[in-house]
Amino acid sequence: MVELRAENIYKSFGKLSVLKGISLSVKEGEVVAMLGPSGSGKSTFLRCLNKLERVDGGTITLDNDFIVKDGKYPAEKELRPTLKRIGMVFQNFNLFPQKTVLQNIIEAPRVVKKESREEATEYARKLLKDVGLSEKEDYYPCQLSGGQQQRAAIARALAMRPEIMLFDEPTSALDPELTGEVLASMRSLAEKNMTMIVVTHEIGFAKGVADRVVFMDNGVIVEDGTPQQVLDNPQNERTKQFLNKVLK
Amino acid sequence: MQLFMKVTNSLLEGLGVTFKIFCLTLLMALPLGLLISLGAMSKYKIIRYPIRTLIWVIRGTPLMLQLIIFGLGPGLLGIMGMNMFVAVIIAFVLNYACYFAEIFRGGIESIPRGQYEAGAVLGFTKTQTFFRIVLMQVVKRIIPPMGNEFLTLVKDTSLANTIMIYEITWNAKRMMNSEHILWPLFYSGLFYLLLCGIITVIFSYIEKKLDYYHG
Repeated sequence: MVELRAENIYKSFGKLSVLKGISLSVKEGEVVAMLGPSGSGKSTFLRCLNKLERVDGGTITLDNDFIVKDGKYPAEKELRPTLKRIGMVFQNFNLFPQKTVLQNIIEAPRVVKKESREEATEYARKLLKDVGLSEKEDYYPCQLSGGQQQRAAIARALAMRPEIMLFDEPTSALDPELTGEVLASMRSLAEKNMTMIVVTHEIGFAKGVADRVVFMDNGVIVEDGTPQQVLDNPQNERTKQFLNKVLK
Repeated sequence: MQLFMKVTNSLLEGLGVTFKIFCLTLLMALPLGLLISLGAMSKYKIIRYPIRTLIWVIRGTPLMLQLIIFGLGPGLLGIMGMNMFVAVIIAFVLNYACYFAEIFRGGIESIPRGQYEAGAVLGFTKTQTFFRIVLMQVVKRIIPPMGNEFLTLVKDTSLANTIMIYEITWNAKRMMNSEHILWPLFYSGLFYLLLCGIITVIFSYIEKKLDYYHG
C-alpha cells in the first residue's frame, strides 16, 4: 500500500511566499492532475515532495517514512531509501547528453541498485518497448525529437522501479504535435495502476486520465475533486476564470 | 655545420628539461586545479575565501616573480639546499593549478542544474552525480580553454631560465654568449613551435572525438 501525504506545506523564496499551507494526500494507483496558473506554486509543491526544494514548514510522509517532519529533514542516509521510491519526469527532460538512450536508462539501476548490466539492459529494453523507442536505444538525446526524449526520460525514471511518479509539466516544452505521444505513454502507465502526480496544462489529459484534479492558485489548493467536479462544475471563482480562459 | 650540430644538441638537451617541466606541471596542476576549483565553489566561507584569495594572488602576480620567490626565497630565509628544479615545479604547479581551477569552475557552473536534479531523483549521491554525469560534460566544455593553457605553459617554461634551469631558452642564450652568434635564439623558437603544433593536433583530435553529442 502506497500513500504519499503532505500536510501544511510552507515554502518561500526570499520574501516571496510560494506555498501557503498546502495539504494533499495521494493513494496507491491514484492519478492526480494539478492545474493552475503560472506562479501558483504547483511545480514548487511537486519539487518539495522529493526534496528538490526544501520546505520551510510542514510534514511529508510516504507510508510511515518521513520525508520531512515539521520542516525538519531526516539524515541523508535515512531519507535515501524513501526518496528512491519516487520517480520524476522534468519539463526539460534532463537526459544525460553524453550517454545513449540505453546508457541513460541503465546508469542508475547499475550504480544505485547495483544491478548487473544484463539485468538492467533487459529491463531497459522492456521499458523502451513500452514507450515505443525500441529502435532508438543507441541514439544520443540530441538525435531525438522532444517527444522521444521525454519518453526516454519516462523510461529512465521507471527503470528505478518507483512506486510513485511525479511529472513536472512533461509536455510544456514540446511542440503541440509531439505532446500526444508523451501523453499516451503516461496514459498507459496510469492504466498499469502507477500512482502519479502530474503538474500539467493539458486539460484533456486531466479529464481523460486523472482520477482527481487539484486546482491551485496563489500558493493554496482552491479546488480538489473528480475531473467532473473540478472541470465541469467548478465551485471556486478563480477556477472558473482559469478554465474559461484555457478552454476558449 | 659543426656549429649547427652543437647548437642543436644543446637545444635538444634543453628540450628534455622543458618537456619535464611541462609534464610534471600538468600531472600535478590538473588534479590540484580541480581541488582548488571545488574549494572556490565551497558553500563554506572559511574554505571559499582563502581559496579565492590564493587564486587572486597567484593570477595577480607575474609568474616570473613567483619563480624567483620560490627559487630564492628559501635561501634568503636561511633554508639552504633548496633544489631549484623543485622550486620551479612548485611555482608552475601552483600557478597553473589556479588558472585550471578557474577553467574548471567555469565548466562546472555551466552545466545546467537539471543534470544535478536528474541525478538526485534517480538516487545518485552528489559525488556520484558529479563524477558519473557532470564531469564528462565539463571536460567537453573546457577543452578549448584548456588547449590555450597548455600552449601558454609550453612557452612559459622558458621563464625557468631566470633561476638557472637549463631549459631550451637557457641553452639558446648560452650558445649565443659562447659562440657570439644570434641565430640560436630564433632556432629555439622552432622547438616551441613544434611542441605547440603537436599539442594543437592532439587537442583538435580530442575535440572531434567528443563531438559525437551536443548539449
